[in-house]
Amino acid sequence: MSSHELPHAIIGAKKEREARISLTKAILLDIFFVFYSIIVLQRAVYYKLILDLREMPFAWSEIGFIFIASVILGALWASSRTSLSAKLFGVARESKVTDLTTELFGWFLFNITFISGWIITKISIVDIFSPDGIDGAQRIFGSLFTPEFNIFDDALFAIIETIYIALIATLISIPPTLVLSFLTARNLMKDSKTAFASYYVLRVFLNFVRSIEPLIWAIIFSVWVGIGPYAGMIALLVHTIASNAKLYSEAIEGIEEGPIEAIAATGANKLQIIWYAVVPQIVLPFLSFTIYRWDINVRMATIIGLVGGGGIGTMLMQYQGLALWKEVGLIVIMIAVVVWIMDYISAKIRESIK
Amino acid sequence: MILNIENLHKIYDNGTHALQGIDLSVNEGEFLVIIGLSGSGKSTLLRCINHLVEPTSGKIEFLGKDITHVRGQELREVKKQIGMVFQQFNLIKRRSVLTNVLTGKLGYLPTWNTLIEKFSPEIIAEAMQNLETVGITEKAHIRADNLSGGQQQRVAIARSLMQKPKLLLADEPVASLDPATSNSVMQYFEKVNKEFGTTVICNLHFLSLVRRYATRVVALKAGSIIYEGLPSDIDDNWFRTIYGEEAEEVEIR
Ligand SMILES: Nc1ncnc2c1ncn2[C@@H]1O[C@H](COP(=O)(O)OP(=O)(O)OP(=O)(O)O)[C@@H](O)[C@H]1O
Ligand SMILES: [Mg+2]
Repeated sequence: MSSHELPHAIIGAKKEREARISLTKAILLDIFFVFYSIIVLQRAVYYKLILDLREMPFAWSEIGFIFIASVILGALWASSRTSLSAKLFGVARESKVTDLTTELFGWFLFNITFISGWIITKISIVDIFSPDGIDGAQRIFGSLFTPEFNIFDDALFAIIETIYIALIATLISIPPTLVLSFLTARNLMKDSKTAFASYYVLRVFLNFVRSIEPLIWAIIFSVWVGIGPYAGMIALLVHTIASNAKLYSEAIEGIEEGPIEAIAATGANKLQIIWYAVVPQIVLPFLSFTIYRWDINVRMATIIGLVGGGGIGTMLMQYQGLALWKEVGLIVIMIAVVVWIMDYISAKIRESIK
Repeated sequence: MILNIENLHKIYDNGTHALQGIDLSVNEGEFLVIIGLSGSGKSTLLRCINHLVEPTSGKIEFLGKDITHVRGQELREVKKQIGMVFQQFNLIKRRSVLTNVLTGKLGYLPTWNTLIEKFSPEIIAEAMQNLETVGITEKAHIRADNLSGGQQQRVAIARSLMQKPKLLLADEPVASLDPATSNSVMQYFEKVNKEFGTTVICNLHFLSLVRRYATRVVALKAGSIIYEGLPSDIDDNWFRTIYGEEAEEVEIR
């Protein structure tokens, strides 16, 4: 092989591969779009709006048929390079047809989505103005605004417990979050195949953990370690690690490449590069995220308390169960005050360390 | 010969063919300047030499050793001997000038000591010495981002001097500076070149600077070398070949 053919072959292959990947993505997205449109049109518009059925007929064979039809239509449409997805992935033909179809289809998607959302939410003007409903609302609001102060001591103790649960969860989360954030920052992990593979696996795992709400973690851990503050703390901890690892790693990905290159060019090793070029750029954002997270965790700890995670939430649930609305009123007001104070303090701290 | 490049190609992942068969030899003690339009591949060429980007094919020899495909510790040994200065200075903004200079020594020191930021008095003295070379000892304990552009670039030069480099790469080191400052920064490169005998390869845009500092010039166009010679040999004809028919020379003093 002559020395000239080699690079040209590489260029051609790289460009071709990129184009092929984009077209494949466009085809997959178009299949989804077509499938989604048919399903929504059939279920929300035809069954609900036009026929006004109560029970949705459902058959796998029908869904399968629609799916196969979508695969064919979507693939054809994307391959013609006039579809919305083709445009999104930059493989569309420049033409009036493309512009028109993408615009119309975009509007179409937005409208059917909005309409089906409206139907699913069961939005009803009648319910919100019904006399019975308004009566109940008045009773609760009335009690909430005349709080009962004889449980103040208990509530104060419970709310302090909540703040501490949140604080401990936040503090314990810091070391594991740091490690995970470096391991899930793309710019640090792209060097070798093994590094990238572990980056990928960890990312997927963290996304999974994060997608499970703290409330659900609390239910899981209350079975595991028993109902109470400990279960609430672990639930917050797990979710905090997963969420902050993402925020931290995004901060790492957003840092200036220049200093990293400069330090790498001196012959420094990976750890030295991280310590000298990465860490100085991220300490402040990390600190700021962590403080903000404590603030968020105080609110979450309250919610988690509702399912037995201890603290003020658990107390709120007990009084609500007894329909003691005036006590509930006091607890709600105290939560509001604490949340407001935390919000204020954390904002101030974050401002001052900018 | 300190550096020898043969038939070097670089193709980026998006298919851009940035270097298309570069052949270039650099002798010890030269002040080689690379010129060429934006996008002609100047940065890519410099960055291939110290592996900030991986060359696609061809051969790079440094001090007689084939370094085209070195990796890991072996690559770091090569990097230690090649300093680099960037257009954007690339200092660590939040750290002091002295710390920035000390980072030039990282490759020579035990990892653990550097992670707890323990530097011996001799090394700190060496850093101060290098700051003196670029004339800003009095700024040693100031945060790097409090310096002006020209001062930051001098700190960057001092940082690279910590490596005791055989070869110093400079990628448009004065492109973000005003004309007067440009000249003063270029004088420090000249000083390093003349006093320490460090070979310099520098990308530049302004021909007046090229004529003043270069001992040899190489011009790139679309990833190939189209001119190689003395700075004084660049006449109008060559100028238009390098920069295009429309171009007109801008003077900077
Ligand atoms: N990381 C990259 N990925 C893809 N293409 C790149 C990358 N870096 C540079 N290129 C392309 O390679 C070619 C050469 O770029 P290079 O930066 O080496 O030029 P240059 O001569 O230094 O230009 P300038 O004077 O603007 O700095 C350009 O076409 C550029 O777009
Ligand atoms: Mg460049």
